[in-house]
Amino acid sequence: MQSGILAVALREIKRIAVSKICIWGIIVVPMLSTVILVYMMSAGLPQKIPIAVVDQDNTSTTRALVRQLDAFPKTDIKFKSLSFREARLRMERFEVYAILSIPKDFTRDAVSGQQPKLVYYTNNAFFASGNLLFQDLKTISVLASASVGLKTALAKGFSEIQVMPVLQPITIDSHVVGNPWVNYSICLNTSLLPSILQLIILIFTVSAFGSEVKSRLGSELMRIGNNNIVSVIIGKMLPYTILYLLVSLVFMSVLFYYGDFPLKTGFFPMFLAYLCLILGSQGLGLVLTAVFQNYRMGLSIASLLGMLSFSITGFSFPVEAMHASLQALSYIFPMRHFFLIYVNQALDGFPIGYVAYHFVALLGFALLGLLVFPRIRSFLEFDYEE
Amino acid sequence: MRKLLIDIYYVWREEIKVVFRDPAVILFFLVVPVFYPLVYTSFYNNEVMRDVKVVVVDDSRSSLSREFVRKVDATPDVKIVGCATDMQDAQKAMWRGDAYSILYIPSEFSKNLHTFKQTRVQAYSEIRSMLLYKALPLAVTDVSLDIGANIRVEDVGHGSQKQDESSMQGVVSEWIPFYNTTNGFASFLIPAVLILIIQQTLILGIGTLVGTHNDRKTFTIASHAHIGKSINSVRLTLGKGLAYSLVYIVVSVWVLRVAPYLFHLPQIGEPMTVAVFLMPFLLASTFFAMTLSYFVSQREFAFLLLAFTSILFIFLSGISWPWTSMPPALKAIAALIPSTPAIHGFVKINTMGASFEEVWPEYLQLWVQAVVYFILAVFMYKWWIRNYDPQYEGKLPEKE
Repeated sequence: MQSGILAVALREIKRIAVSKICIWGIIVVPMLSTVILVYMMSAGLPQKIPIAVVDQDNTSTTRALVRQLDAFPKTDIKFKSLSFREARLRMERFEVYAILSIPKDFTRDAVSGQQPKLVYYTNNAFFASGNLLFQDLKTISVLASASVGLKTALAKGFSEIQVMPVLQPITIDSHVVGNPWVNYSICLNTSLLPSILQLIILIFTVSAFGSEVKSRLGSELMRIGNNNIVSVIIGKMLPYTILYLLVSLVFMSVLFYYGDFPLKTGFFPMFLAYLCLILGSQGLGLVLTAVFQNYRMGLSIASLLGMLSFSITGFSFPVEAMHASLQALSYIFPMRHFFLIYVNQALDGFPIGYVAYHFVALLGFALLGLLVFPRIRSFLEFDYEE
Repeated sequence: MRKLLIDIYYVWREEIKVVFRDPAVILFFLVVPVFYPLVYTSFYNNEVMRDVKVVVVDDSRSSLSREFVRKVDATPDVKIVGCATDMQDAQKAMWRGDAYSILYIPSEFSKNLHTFKQTRVQAYSEIRSMLLYKALPLAVTDVSLDIGANIRVEDVGHGSQKQDESSMQGVVSEWIPFYNTTNGFASFLIPAVLILIIQQTLILGIGTLVGTHNDRKTFTIASHAHIGKSINSVRLTLGKGLAYSLVYIVVSVWVLRVAPYLFHLPQIGEPMTVAVFLMPFLLASTFFAMTLSYFVSQREFAFLLLAFTSILFIFLSGISWPWTSMPPALKAIAALIPSTPAIHGFVKINTMGASFEEVWPEYLQLWVQAVVYFILAVFMYKWWIRNYDPQYEGKLPEKE
């Protein structure tokens, strides 16, 4: 029988091919997650979130205001003739996510300089819809104020040309680098999918060795690898590395090519980042295997770390807003480094030199994996006990 | 009838013993639900992103522009970390990660404002997270409205105090964020995560139990009953399901009541309403987990099931990407998962203070799920007994 690194690799490929759990975990799950998440956010920004308007004034001015608000793409005015109590009840039933309240005598007070007050309520138990609706409602109240100002200024004898600078002396051009549409899918999926990949890598690296020991194949594996731990581990890891790389290529093509997400510095830096993420996560997986020397414990910790990295990577809630100790902790997750590379390269298109050390960190995880080879050897030669 | 209840009681009692004999299951049923809420809340506990680092390029260098910058710096969301001499310099600060945004004030800023002309300031922001990019534009908008109002009064000429106020702002407005008044991240996300923790640890624990039976090839699954009695799969499912649900009544008190209290998260619901609403959820998620455990053919596979379903379930629940904007096909899939109606209902009661009337649809949905997953779990056990325990068909052999 053949032996050496190639034999180990061939044996591993056969193991993967007949293992239902490998096929599900490494291929089906990432593909399924991609389809669901990309499809869910395919609109980019949530559109037509239902709101209610409580218009107690109901004049042509307020109706024009309401029409204007309804024309915003994010807002969909579902109810126009409710009492405030009813509107609030609908909010509690998730039928509307915001209420705009226009007071009685709004028009009269506005024209006579009595400063009427528009009040808008948003349901911030839903963060995204609450904040998106806030933007629209804020805009409409600024517009309302401006249109009153316009009438007053014209009445005071300003010419049309003079009026705009008076109404709005300072204007703002807001540029969002990389994602000017503030597309949710670009914000989330570009990091969610690699986080899922990292979770898969951590789990399957631990289980690649754990399952051997569990079925008492550790010594046999060592024999096939000529009793050389380097060829055993490299031979075992390599088929996975290639599989993960293929999965990453699918991610990249779905996100950056079909989805047309920003990829400012082109294919290679991101491809390199994915490669380093894979190697780094495999390294971390080896470290977990070696440290715990126990299949189940290793798996528990691997899934724990993998799950935490969805939070601590900082693509939803920024790491910068977390406690300082958590900020430091975030760097023991390969995904954090990948995320910073992604932001810098694909999204912002900054020079690659500024994130070079994150590549180094990812490769550092891989090197750390090399250091624990002797410990993995003793794990493989150890008889498994429940 | 009496026999049925006694059988269920025996299954229940034996299953409780099994649960507390397996250290891994104790870990998943009790230790993980105790610590996970604390861990996740500590991530998000700062609630909001304050002091986003901004670098300023002030080409105007006038007293007016300095006032503008000072006022921007004074807003809570933004912190001016430095002034750059030109845009290249500022961009380098962004490259180095020293700042996430640039505020550019043009050289004609002061001159324009004093000569009835509009002026334009530029805000460049990075969008590594949804919470980071909007800090500068929002702060600058507020400041420019504020300074703009003062300038407008100068432009149109002073009148009485009331007239000045009116020319500053013809219509005033107020934003009242309901339910999550600080607009915090933890207050919005954690209630959903808590519900998910309950469901997912149930999946993990029950999956581990079933995987262990599979591993040891003992298949005593059908035999936790009075010796010599035949236990059919209906009684088995009921007895085991009640055992798990009972443990989780205790767990839920910690996860849903104590943990949010410790971190001062919104909690304005009636505890009794929450408790009543929770009953079908615990049953539905128990039977859901028992059904899913069919796929756990090895003890360790429970982790995979947990890891892969958690992220999908939280996104499908419609808490992040708004439920109203979700494609109908995904809504249909999400409706099959107990955590979806449970999260909606729990947010309504706990965060929004809704009464039982408002959660009626979710409550009903959970009962339907409980019944459907109960039936599926029965089939799961039926299949199990047939395939793995054909010799005894659920009977525990008499001791020799």
